[in-house]
Amino acid sequence: MAGLSPSERRLQKELMSLMKEPPPGMEVDSDKAEQNLNLWTIHMKGAEGTLYDGEEFQLQFKFGPKYPFDSPEVTFIGNNIPVHPHVYSNGHICLSILTDDWSPALSVQSVCLSIVSMLSSCKEKKRPPDNTFYVKTCNKNPKKTKWWYHDDSV
Amino acid sequence: MADENIEPDQSMDKKYYEDSNVNQDDLILQQSKNIEKEISDSIMLVGDKEEIMVLEQQYIGDEVYKGKVKDLARKYSSLRRTRPDGNCFFRSFGFALLESLYHNQSNYESFRIIAEKSKDKLLELGFQKFTLEDFHDQFMEVVNLIGKPDTTEDTLFEVFNNKDYSDYVVVYLRLIASGQLQQDADFYQNFIEGNRTVFEFCRQEVEPMFKESDHIHIIALSTALDVGVRVRYMDRGDSTEAIAHDFPEDKAPQIHLLYRPGHYDILYPL
Repeated sequence: MAGLSPSERRLQKELMSLMKEPPPGMEVDSDKAEQNLNLWTIHMKGAEGTLYDGEEFQLQFKFGPKYPFDSPEVTFIGNNIPVHPHVYSNGHICLSILTDDWSPALSVQSVCLSIVSMLSSCKEKKRPPDNTFYVKTCNKNPKKTKWWYHDDSV
Repeated sequence: MADENIEPDQSMDKKYYEDSNVNQDDLILQQSKNIEKEISDSIMLVGDKEEIMVLEQQYIGDEVYKGKVKDLARKYSSLRRTRPDGNCFFRSFGFALLESLYHNQSNYESFRIIAEKSKDKLLELGFQKFTLEDFHDQFMEVVNLIGKPDTTEDTLFEVFNNKDYSDYVVVYLRLIASGQLQQDADFYQNFIEGNRTVFEFCRQEVEPMFKESDHIHIIALSTALDVGVRVRYMDRGDSTEAIAHDFPEDKAPQIHLLYRPGHYDILYPL
């Protein structure tokens, strides 16, 4: 493991754990992640018995050199972006642990689980009320948005 | 609602964006980044020891503060500043604690055992094992320095100014505080404002880096590690002295911190 930075070491460890024991319905594209440790794609299935049952999504994780002290940049990518009150049509997700409430003790796995639970508790499939405006004006990096967090109970 | 804390008047906002061709979020973030950089360029994570009277120069013409500095000088010989990055309480606490153990090795072994065992307690509370282990390992590496014969005061100073160690120590101390709050959630719930549970409070105000500390953080950390802390409060209050609060209440202070609104530094008694 010589020559790896603390951030790379941590990512290696997380990748291994995610490949060995993936959370239900999730699979990390390990070939892609091994090629570039700072850019992962995770395939994710909508949980059974929820509004997203039967759908498949892709999550992209981008890691900066200060990971895990800085949060990863997490977005939905591909042609199926979940229709959800906290997910913008450009794939940006309004979830506090991705910015303000990120802690270095969280992980890719805990972020994935939070996103699954966010989708699972959804009662009505719809876009955020400010979707059109936001998608037009936002920065490409969702971490550069000063988020005003939606009510978690939505 | 993203971006705005009130229902946005879209027509006005849109006009603003078109006119200036800049994204307001970018400006805000750029500004806070610049401030952060200015702070990190000019203030070390943990600074050198300074004479207590250097504080007086900061408060020229301010009689309330000057009186309190004089009072402090009757009890303390020096202070050590830490970087005001929201982690100052945890970093000050960590440095002052290890420094005191370095000078008083008789307390070292019992502390080392508490620190070693703290991991199991956190695992029982449901913290994720492999991230927790990373922080615990790095923390123990720093703690174990105290027992090594070639460790000097400079070693601690260097380690605490090296982000790879210093920030790991901060994170682990945050996790210990969080664990203590969760373990005694029934008790601590009384001190949490708003409609948050202790668990939510820990996730939002204790575990993330750069979140500032309040009494509740200090009580939790000092209780969990069984380390007495005396905090001297220097504020606009009427008193002529910098009032002391001890945490936990009945414990003799092992380390001393100076609180000025929004920030903690380390104090050294005469």
